[in-house]
Amino acid sequence: MLGPGVAWYVAVAAVLFGIGALGVLIRRNTLVVLLSLELMLNAGNLALIAFSRHFHNGAGQIFALAVMAIAASEVCVGLGLVVALNRRRLSLDVDRLSELRG
Amino acid sequence: MTGGAWLCLLAPLGGTIVITLLGTRISRLAAAWIATTTVFVAFGGAVWAFVDMQSRQVGSRSEITTAWTWLQSGNFKVGLELLVDPLSAVMMLIVSGVGGLIVLYSIGYMDGDEEERRYFAYISFFVFSMLLLVEGGNLLMLLIGWGLVGLSSYLLIGFWHDRPSAVQAAKKAFVMNALGDATMALAFFILIAHTNSLSFATDFNAHLSGTAANFVALGLLGGAVAKSAQIPLQTWLPDAMEGPTPVSALIHAATMVTAGVYLIARTHPLFEQARTIELLAAGTGALTLLVAGLIALVQTDIKKVIAYSTMSQIGYMFLGAGVGAYSSGMFHLLTHAFFKALLFMTAGLAIHAIAGEQDIRKLRGIGRLMPFTKWCFLAGALALVGIPPFSGFFSKDPIISSAAALGTWYGWIFWVCGVAGAFLTGLYTFRLWFLVFPGEPSPFVREHYHDHHGREGAWTMLVPVGILAVLATFAGWLQWTPHWDPFTKWLEPVAPTLAAAVPTTTQEYYTSAAAVVAGLVGIGVAWAVYSRRTIAIPAAPFWRRLFENKFYFDWLYDRIFYRPAAATATFLLRDFEDPVILQAGPDLGEATIETGGLVRRLQTGLLRTYVLFVAAGAAAVVLAFLIAK
Repeated sequence: MLGPGVAWYVAVAAVLFGIGALGVLIRRNTLVVLLSLELMLNAGNLALIAFSRHFHNGAGQIFALAVMAIAASEVCVGLGLVVALNRRRLSLDVDRLSELRG
Repeated sequence: MTGGAWLCLLAPLGGTIVITLLGTRISRLAAAWIATTTVFVAFGGAVWAFVDMQSRQVGSRSEITTAWTWLQSGNFKVGLELLVDPLSAVMMLIVSGVGGLIVLYSIGYMDGDEEERRYFAYISFFVFSMLLLVEGGNLLMLLIGWGLVGLSSYLLIGFWHDRPSAVQAAKKAFVMNALGDATMALAFFILIAHTNSLSFATDFNAHLSGTAANFVALGLLGGAVAKSAQIPLQTWLPDAMEGPTPVSALIHAATMVTAGVYLIARTHPLFEQARTIELLAAGTGALTLLVAGLIALVQTDIKKVIAYSTMSQIGYMFLGAGVGAYSSGMFHLLTHAFFKALLFMTAGLAIHAIAGEQDIRKLRGIGRLMPFTKWCFLAGALALVGIPPFSGFFSKDPIISSAAALGTWYGWIFWVCGVAGAFLTGLYTFRLWFLVFPGEPSPFVREHYHDHHGREGAWTMLVPVGILAVLATFAGWLQWTPHWDPFTKWLEPVAPTLAAAVPTTTQEYYTSAAAVVAGLVGIGVAWAVYSRRTIAIPAAPFWRRLFENKFYFDWLYDRIFYRPAAATATFLLRDFEDPVILQAGPDLGEATIETGGLVRRLQTGLLRTYVLFVAAGAAAVVLAFLIAK
């Protein structure tokens, strides 16, 4: 086995996931929130592939492929929403998009 | 043989279906003739089966015909099957033959009724139900017929649905019958538990333990008692007079009430395993024949007197079947079908001619205007009392002598009851006769009498009455047990008389003598009291009240069952439904709204809060796993 051990990869993935999660929690720009979501998904992908290599099991890589497909569709929907918001000249600030308040 | 049986069963059902589907597209008369034809076709089928059966060897006269397997669960199997054997052939002939005459009579009687088509659809259905009951090839088919008979009697008793009393009577009949259906079903469950089968052959040959046999017989007896209106489930029968008169004739003569006697004869191997219960059936019959005879003495409605006489005569049949003389019970069923249908139909002629009046105090002297009705009624009445050579004599006396043949103390009690019943029969029947038929017509009769184009009724009414008068007079000659007994021999392969219940010739002679003398004395007393008026009617207010209130059975059931049930229902309505159930709706609504008000604060609309909840949830799950490890 070449390169660093699986722990390093998982650590990187955890850091990436944390950054993504923080981004979703803190940032108010819709586009940045979407970006952060992508980051979290890819952190997951990294962990999946690292474990796949570690355990010599192809399943993790297949999962990663599925996650990519889902990420792509999610971006489609998310960007579509952003475009729609923009067309209606609505704010892109997620804090101001709070009509669902109970 | 089986072809005839299927034809017999399905023709009336076809009639019902055709009349129902065609509805108002056919005339009333067409509906009436469809019903009549199909029932007579059924009679043709029954005759076919009978003739074919007679040409066979005694041993091969019983045949089960299966259309298909209807229910199957593991090795428990019930087929849609008919049993054609000497017993069911006799019943098929009675049901479809007498039934056909009654349907024909209905054409005249129901003429002009608004809903004639519905009537004829129901009445063919009634005949079909009864045929299913008697032809059913296993206990489940029998139970289905049993239930359908209850249903169709409900429909016909309540036929005049705009009369509240008719609707009440229909409900009463249905509830009483449902009680019997339930005990019968319970008996069948016990049989299934013990033999895993409902076929006659298996169940009749099974050896049940004492308790099981007693319970099975008791359940069957419950069904028989309810359907045949014996004490203590007899109260529905007099009320059932609310239906049209031909329906009364059908219920009392050809179908329905005879089902209980048929049931005992059919399932006699089960009853013989529980001899105590079988004797209980005989005791019930003996008690009923006396009680019904006493109540009949004070009735003022012509149909109710005849109704109580039916209860009394069915009591004789139960007595016969209960002591083990099945063929005597069945023979009395046969002759009774003729003379009771005759009595109801002659009474119907009188009622029809007097604008629906049924009170015998108003009908005095109607015989002068309706001689044909008068003589036919007399034939029926003499047959009912059992005066030779009329048919009742040949069929009633063997039942009483079978009771004597038992030789035990209860046998003699039954014998005394039977003879006393003969006296009562003579008394109440000829009370009716002397009050209604002879003498000068009363002003009421003169005023309301209207004939039918110069005759006493439409030909469709007179012809069946004439035929039945002949049958009621001569049908008894079929068998005179001391000397010839083709009927008993015919039924022997299915329901042989128990050895203990075969009377000696001497017993037959002195029983006949006693019964005939008792009947004649009854007639004589009726003549002295109601015609000559040499004997005054004893005041005896206690007894009169007792009889007029039908021994307080209705009162008792009202107190024991109806009132507590009604009180419970009122209590539940006031103290449970209103405060608890009805209040629950608004309360539940308010509670939901309040909870919603609390929970809605969680919905901030801010994306970050939702994400925080998700993250916190995920963290909590991870933590939980870590701790659990």
